[in-house]
Amino acid sequence: MKDILEGFALVAQFDVLLAILASAVYGLVVGSLPGLSATMATALLVPVTFYLSPIAAVATIITASAMAIFSGDIPGCLLRIPGTPASAAYTDEAYAMTRKGQAELALGTGLWFSALGGIAGTLSLVVMAPLLAELALNFSSFEYFWLAALGLMCATLVARSSPVKAIASMLGGLLVSCVGMENPAGAPRFVFGITDLLGGIEPLPALVGVFAVSEVMRAMAAAEPPPLPRRRFGPIMAGQWELTKRYQKPMWRGNVVGIIIGVLPGAGADMAAWVSYAMSKRFSKEPEKFGTGHPEGLVEAGASNNASLASGWVPSLLFGVPGDTITAIAIGVLYMKGLNPGPTLFTERASSMYALYIIFALANIIMIPLGIVMIRLAAGVLRAPRAAVMPVVLLLCAIGSYATGNNLFSVLLVAGFGVLGYGMERCGYPVAALVLGIVMGSMFEQTFVTSLIKSDGSILPFFERPVSAVLAAITLGALLWPLGVWAWRRFARSSGSRKARQLVG
Amino acid sequence: MLLSDRVTGVGVATLGAFAVYGGLQQPGVPGQDVGPSVFPTVIGLGLLLCGALVALGVGRGFEAPAEAAGAEGPNTVHPSPPRFGELRALLPPVLLVFYVLAVDRLGFLLTAGLIALALSLALGARPRLALPIAVLAPPFIHIVFNGLLRVPLPEGLLAAPW
Repeated sequence: MKDILEGFALVAQFDVLLAILASAVYGLVVGSLPGLSATMATALLVPVTFYLSPIAAVATIITASAMAIFSGDIPGCLLRIPGTPASAAYTDEAYAMTRKGQAELALGTGLWFSALGGIAGTLSLVVMAPLLAELALNFSSFEYFWLAALGLMCATLVARSSPVKAIASMLGGLLVSCVGMENPAGAPRFVFGITDLLGGIEPLPALVGVFAVSEVMRAMAAAEPPPLPRRRFGPIMAGQWELTKRYQKPMWRGNVVGIIIGVLPGAGADMAAWVSYAMSKRFSKEPEKFGTGHPEGLVEAGASNNASLASGWVPSLLFGVPGDTITAIAIGVLYMKGLNPGPTLFTERASSMYALYIIFALANIIMIPLGIVMIRLAAGVLRAPRAAVMPVVLLLCAIGSYATGNNLFSVLLVAGFGVLGYGMERCGYPVAALVLGIVMGSMFEQTFVTSLIKSDGSILPFFERPVSAVLAAITLGALLWPLGVWAWRRFARSSGSRKARQLVG
Repeated sequence: MLLSDRVTGVGVATLGAFAVYGGLQQPGVPGQDVGPSVFPTVIGLGLLLCGALVALGVGRGFEAPAEAAGAEGPNTVHPSPPRFGELRALLPPVLLVFYVLAVDRLGFLLTAGLIALALSLALGARPRLALPIAVLAPPFIHIVFNGLLRVPLPEGLLAAPW
């Protein structure tokens, strides 16, 4: 109880509340701009967190990411351009509702069920994390190795691209993390005589380059999106209560699926939205209405992506294994602020943990009033021409990466990673897998080499402990999954053509 | 698609070969089998395999079609992308390199103003929009980062008046 009160006291400070409010507005605006994703919003925020108190720093990340995931729905609904990848799953549905004249209902649904999903995810974090912390106290380097491997494999499954290319991206990220002196022998590795590389490549310049600079590059190469027609909105929350009562089951299913996907290391809000939308259609009583402007899928997927956001913090806080790209950034901030992830966080810094839960709840509650204001202002924000937004983003990329170490070399790294990210995306290599490889590389190598030293170079002990055997099985399953899908498709196609031939015969 | 799978696959495999070579060059740790060479070598072998598979076209069936036909709404006119798109895309990183080279001499305000102006004009803004952006954005960023967050930004030729 004392810890809970201390948690409240930590949040109730002026700088923390101000940070929550400011990052909420920032997240809403950036998330709503097409092309500027929630991950990018969070990455550009990191340099600012350097200068905040630990709780305020974590609060900005939590609030900005939650707001950005919701407000990504706004341009999806009004312009048919998803503001964040997590909204892409149901953009067509939301836009179809707008064309039917139900823009208010679609946006309100996004807002209301995002907030409900976020709160459900927060509850799951509160309940699950301490239970898993007990379990995690017994983990050895073998379990951590498999957790990291599972996170990396999941990241390649989420990508919706060729699994081979996704794995290549992920390995590329791991290779980047090899650069520098932080390795088992402390030897300078892959530094090519450049002093600035001795300290290794920080994840932040890579993130900013891959997510932000490459977006500016894409804007240069693509035509300006169509301007938003002016419109006045009616009441936004009208009818949400009826929807909640009517679609109770899809809502809960969305929450639960989102929570489960969030907890899986490596899989985040994007995947939660896609899976939930597909499930909603599969289990709906009226699947024929999907795609024509039917709110059911919106309810389920909108709840799901926000629920996954909170539960994505479970593996991050407990094991230091990010649940998605946003928590990958958050882990860096946690380390920087002395809140090192791990099970002891829950025993020794309990009040900080309660503060974190309170911030999650608070962010999802203020999302509703701020979201309504944002929807009303959206017409203005979305009319901001690219030529005004992109220069500011590019300047923030330069200054943000410079601020992390007062080192101009990181600006060059940002430029390099921008080119790399742009090129990779154009050739069909998913960049999220690259980023997770970079973020998790040093942990992965450390647990891998420690385990190998313990086992005297033998592979068998990797599978001997019960938890590590289960994690290993899931990881290998994720590796073989695409093969199974391919075989199934082959089988279905050949049996289908045989049937067709029989019919003709 | 910018480059064919065959080209990128060979590229990935070459990267893998370099990683294996570089990994094997690493010094060992005395009295121990496992050292800094294991991890890059394993990754390099993985990259070699992936590169070969990509070049052979394995896994292409999983790629989502770039833009499914009919995905655009009936009312949206599809504007053609600007000419020299791929080359124009290189402008932002070039501007970042310019920032690194110029900021110590010109100072933050001037360099940032030039970058904003160049990018804004390249994105098709009229001077009526580009000039205010170039004049207003750098001081704003300067106030936030130098004033509030205490990031030391070089003054160069034009020192901020605050």
